[in-house]
Amino acid sequence: MVNKEVEKLLLKVQKPGRYVGGELNEVIKDKNSVDVRFAFCFPDTYEVGMSHLGMKILYSQFNKEDYIWCERVFAPWIDMEEEMIKHNIPLYALESGDPVSDFDFIGFTLQYELSFTNMLNMLKLSNVPIKSADRKELKQIVVAGGPCACNPEPIADFVDIFFIGEGEEVDLEVINLFRECRKEGKSKAEFLQLCSHIEGVYVPSLYDVSYNDDGTIKSFEPKDDAPAVIHKRLIKDMNTCFYPDNFVVPLVEIVHDRAVQEIFRGCIRGCRFCQAGFIYRPVREKSPETINAQCKALCENTGYDEVSLSSLSSSDYSQIVPLLEKLNEWSKDEKVSISLPSLRVDGFTDDIMNKIKTVRKSGLTFAPEAGSQRMRDVINKNVREEELLATCATAFEGGWTTVKLYFMIGLPTETIEDVEAIAKLGQAVVDTYYKCPNKPKGKSVRVTVSASSFVPKPFTPFQWEPQDTIPDLHEKQVHIKESITTKKIQFNYHDADTSYLEAVFARGDRKLCKVMELACERGFHFDGWNDCFSLEKWLELFDECGIDPAFYANRRRSFDEILPWDHIDYGVTKDYLIKECKKAYENTTTPHCRLKCNNCGAAKYGEGVCFEKRKNLV
Amino acid sequence: MKSVRIWFKKDYECRYISHLDLNRCMLRALHKSKIPVWHTEGFNPHPFATFPLPLSLGFRGVNECMDVKLEDDNYSFKEIISNLNACLPRGIQVFDVTEPVMKAGKIAFAEFSIKLNCENTNTTVIAEKLSSFLVLDKIEIEKKSKRGLKTVDIKQGIKSYKIEEKFDFVLLNVVLSAGSSDNVNPNLLVSAFENYSALNVESDITRIDLYNSEMELFR
Repeated sequence: MVNKEVEKLLLKVQKPGRYVGGELNEVIKDKNSVDVRFAFCFPDTYEVGMSHLGMKILYSQFNKEDYIWCERVFAPWIDMEEEMIKHNIPLYALESGDPVSDFDFIGFTLQYELSFTNMLNMLKLSNVPIKSADRKELKQIVVAGGPCACNPEPIADFVDIFFIGEGEEVDLEVINLFRECRKEGKSKAEFLQLCSHIEGVYVPSLYDVSYNDDGTIKSFEPKDDAPAVIHKRLIKDMNTCFYPDNFVVPLVEIVHDRAVQEIFRGCIRGCRFCQAGFIYRPVREKSPETINAQCKALCENTGYDEVSLSSLSSSDYSQIVPLLEKLNEWSKDEKVSISLPSLRVDGFTDDIMNKIKTVRKSGLTFAPEAGSQRMRDVINKNVREEELLATCATAFEGGWTTVKLYFMIGLPTETIEDVEAIAKLGQAVVDTYYKCPNKPKGKSVRVTVSASSFVPKPFTPFQWEPQDTIPDLHEKQVHIKESITTKKIQFNYHDADTSYLEAVFARGDRKLCKVMELACERGFHFDGWNDCFSLEKWLELFDECGIDPAFYANRRRSFDEILPWDHIDYGVTKDYLIKECKKAYENTTTPHCRLKCNNCGAAKYGEGVCFEKRKNLV
Repeated sequence: MKSVRIWFKKDYECRYISHLDLNRCMLRALHKSKIPVWHTEGFNPHPFATFPLPLSLGFRGVNECMDVKLEDDNYSFKEIISNLNACLPRGIQVFDVTEPVMKAGKIAFAEFSIKLNCENTNTTVIAEKLSSFLVLDKIEIEKKSKRGLKTVDIKQGIKSYKIEEKFDFVLLNVVLSAGSSDNVNPNLLVSAFENYSALNVESDITRIDLYNSEMELFR
């Protein structure tokens, strides 16, 4: 619903279709007949936010409840933001067109650290006080979840409630509690206090932090009876867990404009840099029957002719071939194509290739992550060069001529030889193409090598590691560039400046809240976009606040330091992470969950891969 | 196989989507509706649909059309209307299906109804300025083309017009050249009027109908 005032602005801005709602399958309710209004905010543009699966799941799930109306809110792009400010129009939700400040809950999903400023900016555009302490009534409750909630400390002053872990159950428990508290006339403080006892809820205002002279944390104390440790929530049975049979189908093109079907959560691998590989443990799969039925319903209800099977590593799905067979039974007749992103180098078999080829030939992307075998052992990637080259050969013989390879630079223990190996590996893939007897005739090969900069993340074995400095990263980027001698390789690298800021926020503590507050005051937004990001301006802010960003990004922590996120429990024990970190320094790998249980701690949930029968034991 | 012309309105939220987005939206609706339309036979088969004359972003359209080929000659037009509408957002609604009479290339004119208003200027003033503007010998305006800015005279492209003063806006009904050659976008006319009158006008543009060179309704 677009109101008249907004309508006047729409023809002045780029892609106005982002600001109007009105899509197929959007949920419209009567606001007077619901008890709770939830503004689900994605702190980035419409095109990015509408591509996010988590939002689709929760939007459908909340709206299934008669007493809740969940609406969508996205960050307006800079041109629209400017017009809205100029014409005094507050941020509004797409479904009703009502201002966000009218809502009971204002929920954010935090997918990347650089969207923190957008979250604050969206509150500001809504005329909602950004600080939790300044919102005193039992309304405008700001909640946040998603992977970045695993270290919520840099934004602890602004958010009332963090959801730790998976949201399907805990979110509804909190909304329901809110409804009761309001009926009983309870205060916001009372509501938050009650909330803190729901598993998976973290209320940052109920904790006091004190610091040592060197800036590290001295103590972290709960008050008002809040739990000392906050345990994540986790869905035990993926087959009975809610999954939407319908998506809002956007009117304008979005980043991932297709149906998305989740096939499992978690990852068996345990690559040591990867946060998702640890915080979503243990692996829990959906059955092929469930996936097949959900896929079919989604395609029928949305009209999408493409469905993407989503997980952290699709080829690790234990029944991938039977699943593809099942899907192929109907997808061809319905003219629906199946895409399988996140394939591992060692998982791209002939069998899988032939089953996805029946539909659409998209590009192939693999992530060896590091160039040398030693480096891949350090990060526990468990992929060998021979495997990568064999996989590429399979793909080339199957008719593919373009391959994308993703790498990281700045990994712990990395030497200049390890960096150079990235270029060499790219060359080896090119050579493999020309050695292939059945390569596509008369076509040249194109290998894209992308290098991003390593950002140490909480809840990984590398959470104590310093990040390379920006000059170090630049040097490594240049070195790869100079080591590439063929035009068949295209080299891209990720801007080191943004990775640096990401590293600061990722492992930040509550002292960063004042920097965030000032950033919001100064109008910082869209830090994930080159159009807006300026490290220089951030460095000025840090300086003004008397904060040294290197303390967060480039400092090696000791294993006994209290980390800002130590009070949060994602199932994997700190002892396990320390053990893995030490193994990294010994260039030793750890077998994945299906080969051997390594006792990470996630078995305590009593579900998933931890209780699968291992093939080598049968 | 039978060609059919599907007539629809584009309004509300959907007036803010581009032609490309409309195309995507229609293809998805055709796919979802399972109406037996002919699909392209390339690497990425999709329903084959063409639009005789695309509508610019921001305009409402009350008589828009899209051509598809039906694989089942006996599939009822009524069913097309109801099945397609069930798969479309509320801003795009199909109201008729016909067998095409004219080819898309025959389109020569388009009729628009343009609501004009302007803060702090009363409608009489706008209407007067508009009348004197439209009788100018030349109406020149800078137009963005692929090769940069160029000045064009759109006066020749104005076939006929009528100005009506309403309570809080001025209604300009105008027939402009349309089609693959000599297309005049009504936005250009509005900008030219703004330049001429030095007024900051708000316009609300609706495309009413399409015509051939003999001013017969495009069917």
